[in-house]
Amino acid sequence: MTANIVRTPRRPGKRIGLGAGMPWILPALILVFGMIYFSIGFTGYVSTLDWNGFILSPSENVGGDNYVAMFQDPIFWTALWHTAVFFVVTFTIQTAIGFSFAALLHSKIHLAPLYKVIIFIPTVLAPATMAPVFRSIFDADGQFNWLLDHVGLGALARPWLAEGATAMPVVMAVTVWQWTGLTFILFYAAMSQIDPQILEAARVDGASNFRMLRSIIWPLCSGTTLALATLGVIGALKTFDVPYLITKAGPNHATEFLGTYIYQTMVQEKHFGYAAAISVALLVIAIGGGVLMRVRLHKKEV
Amino acid sequence: MFELRSRWSRVGAQVLATIIVLPFLAALIAMVQGSFAGQGWGNYLKVFNTGVVPTYFLNSAIVAASTIAIVYVITMFAAFGFAKLRIRGKEVWFWLILAALAMPEAVLLTPLFVTASTFDIYNELIAVILPIAALQVPFTILLARGFFEAIPTELMDAGRVDGAGTFRVFWYIVLPLTRPIAGAIVVLTLLNAWNAYLLPMLMLNDPDKQVVTLLPSFFMSQYTNDQTGVLAAAVITAVPVIVAYLLLQRSFERGLSAGALK
Repeated sequence: MTANIVRTPRRPGKRIGLGAGMPWILPALILVFGMIYFSIGFTGYVSTLDWNGFILSPSENVGGDNYVAMFQDPIFWTALWHTAVFFVVTFTIQTAIGFSFAALLHSKIHLAPLYKVIIFIPTVLAPATMAPVFRSIFDADGQFNWLLDHVGLGALARPWLAEGATAMPVVMAVTVWQWTGLTFILFYAAMSQIDPQILEAARVDGASNFRMLRSIIWPLCSGTTLALATLGVIGALKTFDVPYLITKAGPNHATEFLGTYIYQTMVQEKHFGYAAAISVALLVIAIGGGVLMRVRLHKKEV
Repeated sequence: MFELRSRWSRVGAQVLATIIVLPFLAALIAMVQGSFAGQGWGNYLKVFNTGVVPTYFLNSAIVAASTIAIVYVITMFAAFGFAKLRIRGKEVWFWLILAALAMPEAVLLTPLFVTASTFDIYNELIAVILPIAALQVPFTILLARGFFEAIPTELMDAGRVDGAGTFRVFWYIVLPLTRPIAGAIVVLTLLNAWNAYLLPMLMLNDPDKQVVTLLPSFFMSQYTNDQTGVLAAAVITAVPVIVAYLLLQRSFERGLSAGALK
């Protein structure tokens, strides 16, 4: 049956005798199923256990208890809320900076190649490499407070990482620092694709540069914006390195994300069953988010 | 593309661009400057004196090279199969691979940790290589399939008429045409493997088996309060990546944008 479905779009002269494709995709299937689907199944199974993760230790089947506990766990909801706020803030700022910077670099400014390199370098560096740097910058006697002192804003100086109210903005700032270069490159490429004649026509009609940006270029870049939003959602759900290394997910869970919470529950507290239940929740959200975004993308295209 | 006619708007654009770029530069300067604070090059010496730097780099290189090799081979085979060959239930298989695309690595932690310790591959580089490759492959297959589909089937038919088998067609006709997409795949995989932190931290505890992203925290565990030495360690791990980027600017930019747009 399935073979017929595959053959239907066959055109004359196409696929002359090229053999069966299964052996070609088999290695990929083995890797993806062996690692990822196996992991999902295993995580699902462990999420019904009360277990400390050692093979030889006894485990007890507790059914849906871990999930019940999760829904009543304020830290789980905090982590989820952080993920949402984190996405909205970092996406908005990155888009604003990336888009403006792309437009500026399309305006024949000096040193453009150098500026491009500077803003893009952070995207190739590991968060783990940059974490000590940002810890030092935002330390109580770090460079950021030094800078505030020297521009007369010394009153604002504080231990940025140690205060609940400022730790999350720092985590967001580090993420923006790291990924704006990618946003910029994508907008830059999208703007290069715009037909110069459209812009010329608008200019003849007397549109200002700002007006063109808002009414022509921004709408024409909407595909890129949506792709970046999808990427941002996935990125926010994956957030681990930055909060783990810079703020240890604290102080007092102020920068807790799902990834850091899973890690802490599993590795530090050895509650494997509970960690697995949160992982399943993360998975459901990731797939749900992906599907939602895809549906929206399709609507936009139609 | 934009015409800035008045002098003031040109100056304004230049100033605005400079203001935007400054914070990005500032953190890099803070890193380098901090790494020389106090003892200057002595900080670097201290990092190298731990004796682990060559080992960490070698391990990272092994992880990156193996991951790239696995991802490249598997992706090219699969993309060719999906794009040009007959497969029962092709789209179902394709979607099953795609569904793994948005997978946060945290989801893999529980099983990986348990499996690795059960089968005793804990502290082996392969325990990091395989999961990174598995997380990468769905995406690169998606990327490469589109590229393979754009290669005219007539080209392959010509090869078939001359009596070449599927594999020879793939090897001699198709593969040489895929260089652009191969570049993107290699760069993306290289960055993801080289910059990976969570999986190596979890799976590699033995100092002989660790990778460059763990260098700053290793240093921290040896010299608790030595901030400048940690920054020197950060610079040491950052420099090769920055140099690679500067040498291969276009491939990096293309690879990463290809990575974002699918």
